[in-house]
Amino acid sequence: MFEPVFLAQQALNGLSFGALLFLLASGLTLVFGLQRIVNLAHGAFYMLGGYIGVIIATTTGNLALAALVSMIAVGVTALVVELGLLRFVRGQEMPEVLLTIGVMFVVADLCLAIFGGDPKTLPSSAAISGALQVGTLTYPLYRIFVIGVAVVVGILLALVQSRTRIGAIVRAGVDDREIISAMGVNISWVFTGMFVVGAALAALGGTVGSGVLSIRPGTQNDVLLYALVVIIIGGLGSIKGAAVGAALIGVIDAFAKAWIPEFAYFTIFAPMALVLVFRPTGLFGRAA
Amino acid sequence: MIRKSSALGFLAVAVVLVAFPFLGTSAYQVSLASTVLVAAILASSVNFLAGDGGMGSLGHGAIAAAASYGAGWASMQSQSMTMQIVIAMGTGILASLAYGLLSMRTNGIYFLMVTLAVGMVIYGLAYRLSSVTRGENGITGIKRPELLAEPWAFYLFVVAAFLVVTVGLLVVSRSPFGASLRGIRDSESRMRSLGYYVPAFKLGAFMISGTVASFAGLLSVWHTHFVSPSSAEVHRSVLLFVMVILGGLGTTMGPLVGAAIVVLVENVVSNSFERWPTLLGVIFILAILFARSGLVGSAAKLLERWRKRSDAGRTPADSASTDATVSGSIPSA
Repeated sequence: MFEPVFLAQQALNGLSFGALLFLLASGLTLVFGLQRIVNLAHGAFYMLGGYIGVIIATTTGNLALAALVSMIAVGVTALVVELGLLRFVRGQEMPEVLLTIGVMFVVADLCLAIFGGDPKTLPSSAAISGALQVGTLTYPLYRIFVIGVAVVVGILLALVQSRTRIGAIVRAGVDDREIISAMGVNISWVFTGMFVVGAALAALGGTVGSGVLSIRPGTQNDVLLYALVVIIIGGLGSIKGAAVGAALIGVIDAFAKAWIPEFAYFTIFAPMALVLVFRPTGLFGRAA
Repeated sequence: MIRKSSALGFLAVAVVLVAFPFLGTSAYQVSLASTVLVAAILASSVNFLAGDGGMGSLGHGAIAAAASYGAGWASMQSQSMTMQIVIAMGTGILASLAYGLLSMRTNGIYFLMVTLAVGMVIYGLAYRLSSVTRGENGITGIKRPELLAEPWAFYLFVVAAFLVVTVGLLVVSRSPFGASLRGIRDSESRMRSLGYYVPAFKLGAFMISGTVASFAGLLSVWHTHFVSPSSAEVHRSVLLFVMVILGGLGTTMGPLVGAAIVVLVENVVSNSFERWPTLLGVIFILAILFARSGLVGSAAKLLERWRKRSDAGRTPADSASTDATVSGSIPSA
């Protein structure tokens, strides 16, 4: 139970799961930071992205292509949702969230209709095979790859946010929507763009994640729970918070599943409760 | 306070509900009507919290499930009926307390997310803690009291329960406590500066709502004799919210109307149309876009407009006091 190899294995499990959670939560938290809406269809976007990714990867055997196609497809779906539905209720918090619930219903049910009810996983031809060998520790390379993807995405997001004009506009939009639109930026399109980017990140998570967790009906709710817990702990709207929260929850979840499987859900709930009681805005969040 | 026409409407609904099993309806229809009413009680608890308190909960399905599991566990231990009821309500109320304590300092979206997350934890426990909950298989063979063994007797009991809950919540809503809740819904900072300790009111409202939800959970397990993790799924809580919005947030009869629509789509339409969740999702989206105050709220507005037109010139002062009944819009806090 406490052998070093076992501990290392669980820690890696936790970190790779945390990496997946980061891909999932970063999109959610970015959209929330800017638009103040919690997109409850985010889990359904992850699921749709996962299904599309698995299908492309099965036919072409190319993971990068699969990720790209699924990001574009889910991004277009999100664009339709944004322009066709969300724009009509902009600024009204509750109706916005409720609309995303309706979207979640429809997307999840259509996924079931199109892709069927069987669990789908990334084919081994597309996944990175082989294992990392350190002493007596063997660990699948694919999971290390997932960690790598999350680190790269995280660095890219941070760089875009802090170093580019687009990032500056987004940061200004978070701080003061009125001033930034008075300065000639069409904030409405910034919102739309961010919503699409968030959904595309979910699709990337779904495609990469389908090699770790199988995609099946109900996945949308499972991943949404984890994503919500991560962003509540990290602080809504904060990329740094999403990264720390994801790593924390990933590691806690891995060890809890190994040691006390009956209470596994409870153990991710406990840190969330602590954060809510002592720091309601999350570890890195700012007061609204 | 209560207008004569709405009191008459309430009475008419009560009469129809009581008469339903004696109108040559089949056993299946009566059972379906029981399902609708249990769902309506549960939806009423969500409606109270969201309508008066402005707190949209996505966790009430799991509160009801906690109570159902309480009853199921007690029945597995072959406890007496009284103990089963006590344990069921106790579990539900304890779960509500956990929700309430965690969410009482939050509002709006944060409240929604906290309730969602706690509900998912209850689902996780139901699923994983198999030594208590029997995991995925659920608990079967939970009996209801001898007195209610006959389906029609149980149906009438559920009708009575629904009417009592509806009137009870109306009384709470019209009490000073209810007025303070609406004050908090409309402006939390103003109430705080008036000296109200807001979290206590929120917790109180949650406990009232949670108790009603626990009762609905007990009734549901008495109805189906069965509880499984799927009853705690987020999906259930989301459907409750769909019921409340479809019926009309903050309206007295909205939960019943919304519950009837959702239960019928889920149980009847699903026989012939496989993609019923899509249908439900589309109905929900349309309701949010075009009929924000729900069916009951929109109907009341139409009625009001029609009455104003026919009353034009006669008693213009009278219609001013009636706006309070049509407070169906979704709070945007």
